[in-house]
Amino acid sequence: MIRYTLTRLALLLLGLLVASVLIFLTLRVLPGDIAQLIAGTNSTPEQIAAIRERLGLNQPLPLQYLEWIGGVLRGDLGSSLLTGSSVSAELAQKAQVTVPLGIMSLTIAILFSIPLGVLSAMRRRRAGGTALSVGAQALAAVPVVWAGMMFVVVFAVWLGWLPAQGFPRAGWNDPAAAFRSLLLPALTIGIVEGAMLMRFVRSATMQAVGQDYVRTAAAKGLTRNAALIRHGLPNVGLSVITVLGLQVAGIIVGAVVIEQLFSLPGIGRMLVADVSARDLPKVQGELLVLTGFVLIIGFLVDLVHRMIDPRQREAS
Amino acid sequence: MFRRTAIAATALLAAGALLLSACTGGSTPDPTTTAEADPDASAVIRLVLEPGNLDIRETAGAALDQILVDNIYQGLVSRTPEQDIVPALASDWEISDDALTYTFTLREGVTFHDGQELTPQDVVWSLQTRKDTPEWSDSARLANVASITADGQEITLTLTEPDSSLLWNLTGRAGLILKEGDTVDYQTKANGTGPFQLTSWKQGDSITFERYADYWGDKAKVAEVVFAYIPDNQAALNAALAGEVDAVTGFDANLKEQVEATGDFALVLGASTDKGTLAFNQAPGSPLADKRVRQAIRQAIDHDAFIEAFNSGQTQYGPIPELDPGYEDLSDVAPYDPEAAKALLAEAGVEDLTLTLTIPSFYSTTIPQILVSDLNEVGITLEVNSVDFPTWLNDVYINKDYDLSFVLHTEARDFENWANPDYYFTYDNPEVQDLYAQSLAATDEAEAADLLAQAAKIVSEDAAGDWLYNGASVVAVGTNLTGLPSINVNERLNLAELAKSNG
Repeated sequence: MIRYTLTRLALLLLGLLVASVLIFLTLRVLPGDIAQLIAGTNSTPEQIAAIRERLGLNQPLPLQYLEWIGGVLRGDLGSSLLTGSSVSAELAQKAQVTVPLGIMSLTIAILFSIPLGVLSAMRRRRAGGTALSVGAQALAAVPVVWAGMMFVVVFAVWLGWLPAQGFPRAGWNDPAAAFRSLLLPALTIGIVEGAMLMRFVRSATMQAVGQDYVRTAAAKGLTRNAALIRHGLPNVGLSVITVLGLQVAGIIVGAVVIEQLFSLPGIGRMLVADVSARDLPKVQGELLVLTGFVLIIGFLVDLVHRMIDPRQREAS
Repeated sequence: MFRRTAIAATALLAAGALLLSACTGGSTPDPTTTAEADPDASAVIRLVLEPGNLDIRETAGAALDQILVDNIYQGLVSRTPEQDIVPALASDWEISDDALTYTFTLREGVTFHDGQELTPQDVVWSLQTRKDTPEWSDSARLANVASITADGQEITLTLTEPDSSLLWNLTGRAGLILKEGDTVDYQTKANGTGPFQLTSWKQGDSITFERYADYWGDKAKVAEVVFAYIPDNQAALNAALAGEVDAVTGFDANLKEQVEATGDFALVLGASTDKGTLAFNQAPGSPLADKRVRQAIRQAIDHDAFIEAFNSGQTQYGPIPELDPGYEDLSDVAPYDPEAAKALLAEAGVEDLTLTLTIPSFYSTTIPQILVSDLNEVGITLEVNSVDFPTWLNDVYINKDYDLSFVLHTEARDFENWANPDYYFTYDNPEVQDLYAQSLAATDEAEAADLLAQAAKIVSEDAAGDWLYNGASVVAVGTNLTGLPSINVNERLNLAELAKSNG
């Protein structure tokens, strides 16, 4: 187990290193730079050159990369070229919106996908099960933006239950309003992500139904459903944990889109604004943190999976 | 003498009132509340574009000027929404007969928001540093200034040659007065002399000003102003109807009925210097180097369609909008006539022309839609390349790599770009450049405007570009607000007179 953990950890670090190079290089491919934006549409070439010089944009790329990654290793993720504020402080501030949004989305996804997935597998030969399965297929194929717009139309415009956009200016000092404003966005991401998860749960359950141990348990006198729930579900849980890592990545991407749609002042919206401002030191810091987060979740999922799956434990 | 002045003033006021009522289409709300203005009020104003940072020294963009100039930072002189030049930190000024010496009388007892006193040396330092620092915006606008000196409260600017645009330039970035050696973090904070001081900036959300209690002039009439940045118009409408904002600038006139439905808001349309500019890359080798092709494109476009689509604004057939000096009606230069356009293209021997329009993605898709369909009518295929703004800056503005480009140029009095062959307009006509230089050198305002008008007419006749529309300032104003400017608010939003009642 220790050897396994160390190998996984080494892979994680290697992944982060590769990600940092990719992030750094892909951002440099974007046309335009921040000096042009600062100088604007009545600028002279001298003005742009002077700003570029001051911001250190003229330094060779390898040097820029090394300075950045050196800072990251010392715990400094970098800072904005526009405001001078540090990436970690900005992330911490915007996380007040995005982290609750992510947790709510994931909770919604799990709460509806697991029971419905199992149900649709157990009733797969009946109309209800088929309808659930088709519904999940359809929902999983729906773009998050479209789902979000539909929810806004129904819950905000027609029913008027929830706000259509925005986050209270008072933030979490007004917990009820803050919670309400995150509900529709979380529902949007949660349902689309949950539909994908549900298909997974369904196929894992169906696989479990056909397994020998379920048949044996049934032969011992358990009802088929009881056998499935007692012996099959732990195996389903394993597969769910495996895809959860992917789900987290999906939720982050969903948050970027949804925060735009609902104008929520979170990490996703900040990221988009920073890219349009070509504030590259800030963008690369933010992307590295997000990538690191997804990779660490993946790492933890691997460890947990190994710990709770007796087959894998014995294999090592 | 007095009587004549009085009559002239009355006539001017009447004309102004007429102009205003024409602009607002009679929709200016009568104040429905008789409640008195609340000196402790907080007014929330929706704006569209949030600045990237607050560095008024070097960060370009109307988003900064809109809120920071006049309200926080001031110059010796300022401009009214009607574009007249008025005193600010200078109580008075005098221009020598040869127009080479400008003498300003600096007000006394002016303090910065952090309590420091404004000294004549601060003025000299601000203008001199602006002129000498190339990365500061508009530093080139002071290139003509040979010396800046102070003698007591008298500030004297000496020019190398007359410059009829100098005073105007001093109402903008070039003329802003900062504290010498100030240690304020200009990127996220501010320290000026205006009626408001910056209290907070919640990035991605809002900027808050509060009344500066020690302001040298009439104190602000509201205690606090919150600028809420809401990019989407539908979202802004929802915020207005929910009572979260008191005024919505940059609004969509098509939403007039919705926003006025509750009776809490009235839609006000004001003139602006927003010019929807269609640039033609006319560098040698481009199909648009042929004036007939450019003229054909202008005549193929139904400019009224833009006004109808936006339900606001007016047509503009030359480079100068109605608010600026040098404006004249040039609608007969390029009337909508697809048949004439086809004939011009045939004469130029152009067939199956395909052009690309490079347009920043935040503009309404209505614009490319109208262009694609109008140009298709005359046999030109228009491909639309929708890009983010930095890409536009890089490809079009810097590298001039484009056929057609659309951008809304908001700045007032920016004719200079048509006289600059290096600008992305790629328009190079020595006659226009010469007329513009003469206009700058003119010592008489009317003469300067007349020369500009002559130059503008040539630019339009050359079909150097096209102006799809002259946008309007569209503002939904809460009926409990008074004193909110309605003209050119995307460029400047002076809130010195803003008052809010509790009614």
